[in-house]
Amino acid sequence: MSEPAVRITDLTVAYGDRPVLWDIDLDVPAGHLMAIMGPNGAGKTTLIKAVLGLVAPAAGRVEIHGDVYAKQRHLVGYVPQRGSVDWDFPTTVLDVVMMGRYGALGWFKRPGRTERDQAMTALEKVGMTEFAGRQISALSGGQQQRVFLARALVQDAQVYFMDEPFQGVDVRTEKAIVELLKDLRDRGRTVVVVHHDLQTVRDYFDWITLLNVRRIASGPVSEVFTPENLGLTYGGRVEFLAEQDDSTDTVEPHFNPDGHGRGRP
Amino acid sequence: MIDLLTGLVTDYTLRTVALGSAALGLVSGALGAFAVLRRQSLLGDAVSHAALPGIVLAYMLTGARTPLVLVLGAALAGWAASLVVMLVTRTTRIKIDTALGLVLSTFFGLGLVLLSIVQRSSGAGQAGLDRFLFGQAAALVGDDLVTMTVLGALVLVALMLLWKEFKLLSFDPAFAGAMGLPVRLLDIGLTTLLVIAIVIGLQTVGVVLMSAMIVAPAAAARQWTDHLGRLVALSGFFGAVSGLTGAILSSLVPHLPTGPTIILVVTAVTILSLFLAPRRGLLAARVRKFRQRRQLQAERVLTDLYRLAAQHPEPAEAPHAVPVLRTMTSPSGVRRCLARLSDMGLAVPDPDGRWRLTPAGVDRARDILGGDA
Repeated sequence: MSEPAVRITDLTVAYGDRPVLWDIDLDVPAGHLMAIMGPNGAGKTTLIKAVLGLVAPAAGRVEIHGDVYAKQRHLVGYVPQRGSVDWDFPTTVLDVVMMGRYGALGWFKRPGRTERDQAMTALEKVGMTEFAGRQISALSGGQQQRVFLARALVQDAQVYFMDEPFQGVDVRTEKAIVELLKDLRDRGRTVVVVHHDLQTVRDYFDWITLLNVRRIASGPVSEVFTPENLGLTYGGRVEFLAEQDDSTDTVEPHFNPDGHGRGRP
Repeated sequence: MIDLLTGLVTDYTLRTVALGSAALGLVSGALGAFAVLRRQSLLGDAVSHAALPGIVLAYMLTGARTPLVLVLGAALAGWAASLVVMLVTRTTRIKIDTALGLVLSTFFGLGLVLLSIVQRSSGAGQAGLDRFLFGQAAALVGDDLVTMTVLGALVLVALMLLWKEFKLLSFDPAFAGAMGLPVRLLDIGLTTLLVIAIVIGLQTVGVVLMSAMIVAPAAAARQWTDHLGRLVALSGFFGAVSGLTGAILSSLVPHLPTGPTIILVVTAVTILSLFLAPRRGLLAARVRKFRQRRQLQAERVLTDLYRLAAQHPEPAEAPHAVPVLRTMTSPSGVRRCLARLSDMGLAVPDPDGRWRLTPAGVDRARDILGGDA
């Protein structure tokens, strides 16, 4: 387990002339639950998409468990942003979850009983069993998120990439999802999550990467999640109101609006 | 009716036209379902218009009017147009609608120019080409039918073989890509099938109206089902039935052009579906809204009655008269609402015509008012 689950080397991505990610070097050690954090436009989603080969990098290299992504695809699971699909698409919850098996199924083959069983097991894990036959258009935001999570679970991956899995989710669902993620980590999987809420970082994650076009810092939450690093990430004007007492896990940053969106035009 | 059936069996022209129209409707309906789901309805319009220069060029280059040659020309031009659209949207800042508009008008304009050149320069041979503008089903012959059926069958078989890939591509292309599916190739593949489906229908329906055969059956079918397989099947069915009906109608009425008649039939199917479909239909939505408003009105009278009664020590024991209720927030239909509440067991009239809440009514009003109560 000495090799990292994800190794990113010299990764640069540009949209047109504008660099979205600049010269990123990043190792994610296996068996960790890692947050990617940074202001809007910091390139969090783009980083995930570049790793998954969905956007072409201008330069750089991505390895998953010691080999290039194209060869290690079967080790990777993905939860895209909930808003990236049309939830009015005519299909059911069970059907969407089974899509997670399409890659392993191969061309032309139809999903059958095995895939159905796997999907039901995953739905059970996310507490959505009774919704299996439901139209996806009839789901709430939190339910949609759980369906996407179940779809990633049936991928049975070693490394998971999740783009804002807590977006539009109520507190209870958020806690339930976190428990699932921790369970994955405890079983040796690596989970990389785009996250927004500074308050919950210490509770949820053991590893963190702070990003703002460049990699600001990366490592264990206890070492990296510091006011100095947050200041560097969010524009240098983060003021902490909460007393810096390590026994309380709450950090309440107040942002100067100018500090936001450095990556956007 | 019997005449019609024997006509379908014995009359060569009617049979050919009817079968051809049904086949084109089936294939364009099935592929159109995917186009509509992927929000590419306009792509169908661009492709069909763009086919015109391909048809004319194919004729100019080969001098032949065999269906396969013309269809091939149409397909190549339509395909080129769709690739140009993809390329323009991917590499420039031009948005898809603008790109479609540009490509459609450029290709179609080119087609019209070429058509007029051909018509001026040669005599009889080209006469069949302008029928591709609005379609001329009566000119369908056995050869055309064979070409249409074979191509259509190929398209449908390919669609079934790649069903789960196309489904995932349509629903979540990013997930498909992360999984390792060749998204761009699949995109081109599905678009190619759409192009073939369009080209099949051009001779019958014409480049101008063909996009309706792509969009309308799918829009109609979407009203009736929430299941992708059934949606595609139903869309194909609507297309086929419209094609068949249009062909038969135009054979019954002299001088009724087949292509436009088919389009009118499929439009009628769509409009009926928009209104009548059980859950998504406008009529059902209207009924739902009406019921909801009735319910809200009744609840308002209920809470009014509660507010009045709440000023008395025992709310369920305090009746109030209708005119009093009218002065509250409920402006009209107070009696109707009270009758409804009485049906629901929430309020009862006293012999003197005044109304009081039942204990259930009191509970319900407290529920509705929540913290206000």
